[in-house]
Amino acid sequence: MTILEFMLAPLMACLLLILINVYFGIHVLKREIIFIDIALAQIAAFGATIAVVIEHVMHEGHGHEHSEDSWLAYVLALSFITVSSLVFSFLKNKKISIPLEAIIGISYAFATTAAVIILDKAAGGDVHIHDMLVGSILWVSWAQVIKLFVIVAFVGGIHFIFRKKFIQLSDSYQNKENKMNNSFLWDFLFYLTFGVVIIEAVNISGILTVFAFLILPAAFSSMFSKSWTTRIIIGFILGSVVSAFGLYFSWNMDVPVAPLIIIVLGIFLILGAIYKRLISFKKS
Amino acid sequence: MIDNLVFLAPAIAACVILAGILSYFGNHILTRGIIFIDIAIAQIAALGTMTGLLFGFAEESISVQFISYGFTIVVISLFAVLKSKKMAISQEAIIGIIYCVALGLALLLAERISGGSNYITKTITGNILWVTWKQVIFALVLVIAVGLVHVIFSKKFIEISENIRDKKGAENKRILELLFYVTFGFVIVKAVFIQGIFLVFILLIAPAAIVRLFTSNWRQRFIWSWVIGILGSIIGIYISYEYNVSNGPAIVCLLSTFVFLAAFAKAFKKILDRKSTSKFVQNIKE
Repeated sequence: MTILEFMLAPLMACLLLILINVYFGIHVLKREIIFIDIALAQIAAFGATIAVVIEHVMHEGHGHEHSEDSWLAYVLALSFITVSSLVFSFLKNKKISIPLEAIIGISYAFATTAAVIILDKAAGGDVHIHDMLVGSILWVSWAQVIKLFVIVAFVGGIHFIFRKKFIQLSDSYQNKENKMNNSFLWDFLFYLTFGVVIIEAVNISGILTVFAFLILPAAFSSMFSKSWTTRIIIGFILGSVVSAFGLYFSWNMDVPVAPLIIIVLGIFLILGAIYKRLISFKKS
Repeated sequence: MIDNLVFLAPAIAACVILAGILSYFGNHILTRGIIFIDIAIAQIAALGTMTGLLFGFAEESISVQFISYGFTIVVISLFAVLKSKKMAISQEAIIGIIYCVALGLALLLAERISGGSNYITKTITGNILWVTWKQVIFALVLVIAVGLVHVIFSKKFIEISENIRDKKGAENKRILELLFYVTFGFVIVKAVFIQGIFLVFILLIAPAAIVRLFTSNWRQRFIWSWVIGILGSIIGIYISYEYNVSNGPAIVCLLSTFVFLAAFAKAFKKILDRKSTSKFVQNIKE
């Protein structure tokens, strides 16, 4: 009974994260902007870093506090996400002859190293690179789960209502003659809502788990279907089963949960690819 | 001033040599759209190092380096060879998956090695100021060897990179692909060891990106990305020395700012051009 009590909140968090990330994952794969979530997470962290420095300067002598939950950190993280969403939507442009993934990568490198410089200079806090990388979904509280639920419902609602727009945009992303009206606005809304989810998700489970939930189930489903609904369902089932398994074994065998989930998802992906190959050999 | 120069000389030499080869490769990487490949390679190499440590070899020993290079070469060869028409997802997605799973495995191994989590973050920053002349010479030899291979096959490599989305005949190019990725893998592992992931990433992508905005001619792309990469490194080291910030981050921020300036300049210029031409057309009509 205790294990169920202990695991219920992390499991709920996992299910919510998988649901929203599989959906975004399909978008991200279609747009070929694989590393967008790492970049957005790092940009949000850059904002939070500046908040830490500001608070440190303002409360000189109060010692080092963990201000990750402060409203200033959230506001700055969100405004950095907004600015970078504007930049990404603006630079997705017929005239810009380099892939958007390059711009995203450069923003990622900039955000990370600029945070290092600022922390170096301000001598206020340590770089939480490792914490941010792994996180621990096991220690998620019900309050966090409810907050995550509200955000997922809100963002999911927007994307459900305007699903045609968003899907049309991502489906036609690679061809240059994109005739859609207001594509800039929809692009911006896409990155902004995604960023809001990323801030919360990375807080709960760390960048790596979020990245895994985003890419692996969506890639797995891409081998078996082209329809968005089917892909979301396949990805969600795979992700849920694997994370339930991962939580259970991490509890039983005392191994960290994130790597466990990732490796099992990776194994499924390889098995899926091999199965796919065998089928196509039989056909030919 | 002379003292400073003597102190900075190995760092500058390392940066110039590596910027040369990295900005060359960057043009290929950008055209192929596999932006994050170096981060994935670095992660695989780190996984190799950790595996070596797990077997009880010393950190800087030949065995550990051998395992590290071995891991990298195996994975990148698989990546080069297993490309096929039936792939439903892009190469960049496969790179993402490789990175993610390698990092997951590294985190599991980190639990078993004392101080293991250090090895995960160790490769992130790097510090070129600690580079020795011996490392510089080793890097130079590697760069010359790889450079020669690429001079010999330059036309073929350019042809493959340009037609990367056109999947016909991918099977015939496997040996060349293998050669490309293996040489690239060696350079990246060496460069990340000296400079850290972010500096390598930015030297790879930023100069090539700036140049690609303005020209699609390969010869010009190579020449200008060399100029930008090498100048950017030298100015970055100077700034970092003058204002006492870490050198790697200084170069990264400098070059990435250039990319954004160039991209915005390009995008705005086109908008202005369009407005002025439409006005011009209107004037003619009137």
